[in-house]
Amino acid sequence: MNDIFIDVDYAQIYKHGQKIGGDVFLLSRNPENDQIVCTLSDGLGSGVKANVLASLTARMAHKLSFSPMDLTHSARIIMNTLPVCKERKISYATFTIADIRHEKGEEVRVNLVEYDNPSALVFRGVNSYLWQPERIDLEREGAFKQEVLGHSQLKLSIGSRLVIFSDGATQAGMGKSLPLGWRLEGVRSFAQAQIEANPDISSHDLAQAIVCRAHSLDRLSAKDDITCMVVYVRKPRRTLVVTGPPFTVEHDQDLVEKIRLFEGKKIVSGGTTAQIVSRLLAKPLKVDMSCWSPQVPPCSIMEGIDLVTEGMLTLSKVAIALEQKKPVRSLPNDAVRKFIQVMQESDQVHFIVGTKINEAHQDPNIPVEIGIRRTLIGRLRKALEDNYLKETSQEYI
Amino acid sequence: MGKKERVSVKICVGTACFVQGGADLLLYNEFLDPVVLGGCDIEGVSCLGGCKDPNAKDRPPYVQIGGVIHGDMTQEKLCKLLAEAVHA
Repeated sequence: MNDIFIDVDYAQIYKHGQKIGGDVFLLSRNPENDQIVCTLSDGLGSGVKANVLASLTARMAHKLSFSPMDLTHSARIIMNTLPVCKERKISYATFTIADIRHEKGEEVRVNLVEYDNPSALVFRGVNSYLWQPERIDLEREGAFKQEVLGHSQLKLSIGSRLVIFSDGATQAGMGKSLPLGWRLEGVRSFAQAQIEANPDISSHDLAQAIVCRAHSLDRLSAKDDITCMVVYVRKPRRTLVVTGPPFTVEHDQDLVEKIRLFEGKKIVSGGTTAQIVSRLLAKPLKVDMSCWSPQVPPCSIMEGIDLVTEGMLTLSKVAIALEQKKPVRSLPNDAVRKFIQVMQESDQVHFIVGTKINEAHQDPNIPVEIGIRRTLIGRLRKALEDNYLKETSQEYI
Repeated sequence: MGKKERVSVKICVGTACFVQGGADLLLYNEFLDPVVLGGCDIEGVSCLGGCKDPNAKDRPPYVQIGGVIHGDMTQEKLCKLLAEAVHA
């Protein structure tokens, strides 16, 4: 598993009264060469017309950035292709492309191309990093204005953030609370204050905070689409899920040792497994009777373990909830909800699956849904990878 | 007369017990007589081991009352056994 995790997320609020956005954000991951490409485009005007322009631009920019083609050539192709606005007689959409590659070590290389969007911000920890992008004049035939691309090669180390936003953010509050709008400096100092207040703030929360602040400066009636995207390079948050007792009693100690040495959150799923861990760690196990639902047995509490649950019933309900992408808030306050919360807050999940057969589950009266542990873990991993883009791994004991 | 000892009750919440009626027993606050409830210390336990005993005569769900494990537990049976234990 990677020792570095690139957390990318965005937040968006449409212009007041619009049901469709003129800012378009696209994100693709290419797991083969650890490449992530994100594109933000802002189309001329608002509503459907802007959305068409921005979607076209973002999609083209996105596809072209995966090709080896020279970026100025790609930019020319995009601008020549855009349809012309009927009112303004010009074709126009801004874009920012961030091509993010994790090569070796703990550094991430970003190839940033900006055209007419507010310039991106980079934070190294809480400090804002300033740089001068290389300016490339497109000198395109038939251009209605000078077209200058900004090109930068940046290096992001662990703890760095790249913040990209549309002019809806920098112009928020213009003519209302602020004469010239929020401006780049306003966004920069707000983002810096957010990072200072919470150094581990996730990309999702930071993007959301910036967009909400811009929206409130616009007095909750946005004058333009407000979009913000954040890339955060950090150490992965790891979770260990232990389920099922080891095949032979001799391996019990190995299992407990693995739990003890693991750095991250720890979940033990299974009554017998929990009893083994409790006995060998010499930590008492207490059932928490306040946290259960008719479908899911109660959780237990054990010092040193973040969550202790029953095994097969809980895991099968977790698998169903993850497969159906059920929102956490819609679930009852039981072990499944707690399990899913931990999963969602993790980047990498490692499963240790005990292979001992549980005699108690061989009874024909037991419901069919208590299937084979291995199949269930397979379903969980697939759902986590496909629906939540988590990295997972597994070992048997 | 000395203070009467409270009855220790452990309800198994292991998978086999939970799916065969144990979930109903966890609603003890709703079906037990408050006087009986007041005389008991009820807690959950992850497995009492009854389901794994090949020679067991009774079946899950299991509840341990004052150190003795009882199987085939239902809400009615639990009411009766606890009332006997508390009023004994």
